[in-house]
Amino acid sequence: MRNPLGWAALTLFSLLFFAFIYAPLFVIVGYSFNANPVNMMIWEGFTLDWYTGLFGLTERSMDANSRAAYIESTDQMLAALRNSLFVAVFTTTIATVMGTATAIALARFRFRGRRLYDGFLMLPMMMPDIVLGIGLLIFFVTLGMQLSLLTIIIGHCTFLTSYVFIIVQARMAGLDPALEEASADLGASEWVTLRKVLLPQLAPGIMGGALLAFVISMDDLVITYFVSGTGDTTLPVFIFGMIRRGVKPEINAIATLLILASVAIAALGLWLRSRKTD
Amino acid sequence: MTALLEIRGARREFVTPEGGRLAALDGVDLDVGANEFVTLLGPSGCGKTTLLRAVSGFETLDGGTIRLDGADIAALPPFRRPVNTVFQSYALFGHMTVARNVGYALEVQGVPRATYEAEVAAALEKVGLSGLGGRKPSQLSGGQRQRVALARAIIAKPRLLLLDEPLSALDRNLRQQMQIELKALQHRLGIAFVFVTHDQEEALTMSDRIVVMRAGRIEQIGTPRDIYRQPKNRFVAEFIGETNLFPVLVERIEGATALARTDAGVVLAIPAEGRRAGERVTAILRPTDLALAGEGIRGTVTRAVYLGADLHLFVQPAAGGPEISVTTRDVASLPATGETVHLAHDPARVHLLAEA
Repeated sequence: MRNPLGWAALTLFSLLFFAFIYAPLFVIVGYSFNANPVNMMIWEGFTLDWYTGLFGLTERSMDANSRAAYIESTDQMLAALRNSLFVAVFTTTIATVMGTATAIALARFRFRGRRLYDGFLMLPMMMPDIVLGIGLLIFFVTLGMQLSLLTIIIGHCTFLTSYVFIIVQARMAGLDPALEEASADLGASEWVTLRKVLLPQLAPGIMGGALLAFVISMDDLVITYFVSGTGDTTLPVFIFGMIRRGVKPEINAIATLLILASVAIAALGLWLRSRKTD
Repeated sequence: MTALLEIRGARREFVTPEGGRLAALDGVDLDVGANEFVTLLGPSGCGKTTLLRAVSGFETLDGGTIRLDGADIAALPPFRRPVNTVFQSYALFGHMTVARNVGYALEVQGVPRATYEAEVAAALEKVGLSGLGGRKPSQLSGGQRQRVALARAIIAKPRLLLLDEPLSALDRNLRQQMQIELKALQHRLGIAFVFVTHDQEEALTMSDRIVVMRAGRIEQIGTPRDIYRQPKNRFVAEFIGETNLFPVLVERIEGATALARTDAGVVLAIPAEGRRAGERVTAILRPTDLALAGEGIRGTVTRAVYLGADLHLFVQPAAGGPEISVTTRDVASLPATGETVHLAHDPARVHLLAEA
């Protein structure tokens, strides 16, 4: 039955497919170790300078001026990273709580306009980022709010709540309603049932939603670009600005570290999902 | 004797998707004694599960009262009702160990550690699961999960245990074994069981009394023997066990027996008491009440099913009418398909329904 030629073609196709997806990432990782500071296309030898440079530990000889400028831009970048983490942590927390609560409410209570509510929750996910970004900007300006990390957090929560909601809702749909009834039957109030049965049962979904929200928040450029103030910028916005001034080798190092962090988070997510829950 | 559970005039209506109204419970009265094994039996949609859920508190009644030990519990939320339930799906908490599942009711009550552990061990022992407390429910077989659900429901020592088709997911052998064990457990615990099933054999095996339901109403309440031998109507007769129904016209009375004839012409001897000639009634004969004999209803064997201890025959009466189902022990002479046989019966074994 097996056609060797067919299998060879299929294997080749798979290899090309993965090469297509991953080659850009490998190129960046490779360049991040290239010692050539001017043209990263030309290999000049292995170095860790761009990594040490990120943390202000570089020993490259340079004059005082460029060194000062260098450290300043490194500091800005680290500040952007801190902002990104700050925004992501707060956004994830708020979006996870709201998304989970909404998923539980919609699954367990019947009320008028429930279907409509469901549809409106999907909308922010479908909406083009650029529309959401402009809309939020106009909204904040109309309210007279100073653009800051707070506006970024609010902006992220508007659409990340939907992501968490969708994931928790899927888990909720697969849950036997008799579990909560059994808990009540055995004497547990609604609050105790939520704490001891419902939330633990939903935990994989909640964790999955939270991780996704965290990663998207860390990664978001378009919406953040619109709602971030001049002073407080996140890492993606900072990198975007950096590239417009020319690609510096440090960007490859940052990118490589981001890839590592993403892989770690994805692995954590997969591990949490694979843990047996029932 | 006052009843432990007293249901009066229970009514519950559901709105169908088409906008119509469907009475899941249409005026149900039921008493359950303190030490009784009562089975709610009926086809799906007859209201048996709704009635059970009304007692546990997961359904609210549109009308009627539910009293437990004389106290009205209809307004109490499920977690304040002193009854426990074994769910059809078992509803075990997958994220907890078996021991924590079993001890859940005590954990919620905040029972002291030492008592808690002793009670959990005792409950596990009662259902034959000692030593499995550290496992997760996913590591147990279907039968073991069933026992965990049972142990979890009895640990708080309810006066009344509700069981919602708990054996339906088990295979036949295990189900029969669990039927016996459940009955023994109920006896040992000395509490009342209300058991919901659509399996008449299960109902006959375990119950002190069977409540046959249809379309939100109770058709008959009685001991398994009453229900089987003296069904009140055709529905009960046909739902419980195999039945031969003969709508007959009483022709003449001859002492203690009367002769009756179906429209097709099959002649039956029935008890004469209370009968008068010209009356239309329905005669019920269970397959075991008929036997092969030298004379009686003449017919042709259409199918013979050998069941080991019993032989099951389907006989087409020569006079016409529906096939008659016969179960006999007499396997010395195996009738072949197509053979002509005669079926005899004891008139006293005939049960009569007034309806024609």
